[in-house]
Amino acid sequence: MLEFRPMIEFAGVTAARGAREVLHDVTFAVGAGETVALVGPSGAGKSTALRLVLRLNEPIAGRVVVDGRDTREWNPITLRRRTGYVLQDVGLFPHMSVTANIASIPALDGWTRQRRQARVEEMLALVGLDPATFAERWPDELSGGQRQRVGVARALAADPPVLLMDEPFGALDPITRLELHREFRRIQAAVRKTILLVTHDMREAFALADRIGVLDDGRLVALDTPGALHRSTHPTARLLVESMAGL
Amino acid sequence: MSELLGFWRSHASELAALFAQHVALVAVSTLVAVAVGVPLGILAARRPRVGGPVTAVANIVQTIPSLALFGFLLPLPLIGGIGARTAVTALILYALLPVIRTTSAGLRAIDPAILDAADAMGMTPRQRLARVELPVALPAIVAGIRVATVVGVGTVTIAAAIGAGGLGEYIYRGLSMVDATVILAGAIPAAALALVADALLLLAERQLSARRRTRGGSRAAVALAVLVALAGGAMFAAIPREEQIVVGSKNFTEQVILGELVAQAIERYAGLPVDRRLNLGGTFICDRALRSGDIDVYVEYSGTALTAVFKQPVDRNAQRVLDTVRHLYADGGVTMLAPLGFDNTFAILVRGADARARGLRSLSQLAGVAPEWHAAFGYEFLERTDGYPGLAAAYGLRFRDPPRVMDLTLIYRALADKQVDVVAGDATAGLIEALDLVALADDRRYFPPYDAVPLVHAATLLAHPRLRAALDRLAGRIDAAAMRRMNHAVDGRRRDPADVAREFLDSVDRGVR
Repeated sequence: MLEFRPMIEFAGVTAARGAREVLHDVTFAVGAGETVALVGPSGAGKSTALRLVLRLNEPIAGRVVVDGRDTREWNPITLRRRTGYVLQDVGLFPHMSVTANIASIPALDGWTRQRRQARVEEMLALVGLDPATFAERWPDELSGGQRQRVGVARALAADPPVLLMDEPFGALDPITRLELHREFRRIQAAVRKTILLVTHDMREAFALADRIGVLDDGRLVALDTPGALHRSTHPTARLLVESMAGL
Repeated sequence: MSELLGFWRSHASELAALFAQHVALVAVSTLVAVAVGVPLGILAARRPRVGGPVTAVANIVQTIPSLALFGFLLPLPLIGGIGARTAVTALILYALLPVIRTTSAGLRAIDPAILDAADAMGMTPRQRLARVELPVALPAIVAGIRVATVVGVGTVTIAAAIGAGGLGEYIYRGLSMVDATVILAGAIPAAALALVADALLLLAERQLSARRRTRGGSRAAVALAVLVALAGGAMFAAIPREEQIVVGSKNFTEQVILGELVAQAIERYAGLPVDRRLNLGGTFICDRALRSGDIDVYVEYSGTALTAVFKQPVDRNAQRVLDTVRHLYADGGVTMLAPLGFDNTFAILVRGADARARGLRSLSQLAGVAPEWHAAFGYEFLERTDGYPGLAAAYGLRFRDPPRVMDLTLIYRALADKQVDVVAGDATAGLIEALDLVALADDRRYFPPYDAVPLVHAATLLAHPRLRAALDRLAGRIDAAAMRRMNHAVDGRRRDPADVAREFLDSVDRGVR
């Protein structure tokens, strides 16, 4: 076990979306190289937690600290460039080829063409897509699973230490999802990123995360390893664990 | 069809020039509309509170008929006046709405996940706009440009009414000559231009939205390049080459012939180059253009000048009218030259068959049958104090229903086709004989004199000393019969006004007149 060095810290964070308070006094940390999943029903404030890390939102109380610095001290552009982000809807740019999509952040950071090209091939290979076949395709020529792989490749292209994933495999069919879970574990073993992912699917959390946090009505009601969570007595945590068995 | 081809062959260089002008007007105005409309569209998408009113204003502008918009713009400095400037301004205003609307709609239709991804990867707002939003919205924006261009090609044809040039010149010339060939000579290339521009921009739009930027992008680029090259060439061709005397005329046959006579006299006797702005849309437009120096010469009628231009009471003494008008013009920097020799008074016209059946010869007799008949008059005649209101009072005329407003170019045909029974036309109209119409005698001497007189911008006379002598060679040379013959040659026998004017000047030179 590596020494625990916090990369992402939430300290007494309260946050709102519009007028509605969606996170209330949330405190936890994600260690370097660790994968933490936040689980909870829809509207529990999971996506807001990720937006706080990117400083797309700011807390109304408490602090969000990334790599030792409060997000409000980070230049938001710098912060976002060194943070990979994978969305459920992927958000691939429809007017760019797969290559141009993956090279988006490297292009913003001013990498040379050759370096970008090499990186794109490396990333495609990493996410299990043959560069010769896929590099010049367009987003509308990809299946849902392939799009999601390209989304992961794009998020990892600039080699960010932190990766955020918002329901990354939620829109996929069960078989593709299982396949991508396997791929995720393989990739994570290779790159060892600090990963904070949110999902409403407990089985996904169990399959991917080192530790799982349970959000209920904006509060973090449990945070533990999958094995320990089985023994949790909190009603929401119990409900989520049992929902998994029932399926 | 062969007539049409013949017309194009004999007018090839003029056709090319008008076509180039047409393309240049559309290109300039569309480019400006894009330069202004895309940023406004972005603003409208970003700030709905600002964008709403902007779109609403553009919407209202869109509903103003183009002739009315030209009318509003004419008196304005810098953007108004006779000619291309007003046309370009109006076209820009019309083109703005589709560009603003499609730009803002295209931006707002972008999947929010795409914008989230752009923000989350650390794009600055400007990078997000340039690298993601505008490229994704581009097909929609091009669709707006396409609509603006096609509307522009159509609107430019109307702009010929204010001397902007373009293919509309043939359409107006054809309307005033009641000659379908000339109308088609302008309408067909204008329609072809609209179709070609539409097709090229549609191709660009399709290629862009197919998201095959590397392959399709090049084809879209070719389509755009063809358009830009066309537009650039046209703009170059449309640049005026040297200082010219600008001759104007109103938009009916006699005025076009007089415009040609004046223009050719200047070319022939003074050796000065002439820019023809014939077929301008009415007395007020010509007057305004002359005073502002947009045109240098046009032929006016003394009675029209007295009542319509200077708002003076009707005067039935021909010499006194000429003297009054000469002084009033001189105060405004306009020199009135010697009368050309004919009096184009109003003529109240009925069909020859009706006149013979009813034994109608004079306006006094018309009063008896008027309650059974329908009348139509041009807008100016209906409104002017020396027009219908005074006439009705002088003869006690009352028609079956209030007289209809009808375009002067259509009014003779409407009478001959029995759409109406009485119209007001010109005493020198060539169509009177051609369509078997009869002018009723003004037995109570209601109509004031309408002697044709050339008006010249005084500063132009000073700058070009030979101009006056050249125009004075026309003084007293054109009597009513000569004018009617020339009108009939154009209206009845479909001859070209320029040829008719040339033959007349030849006969003057030979000393026949």
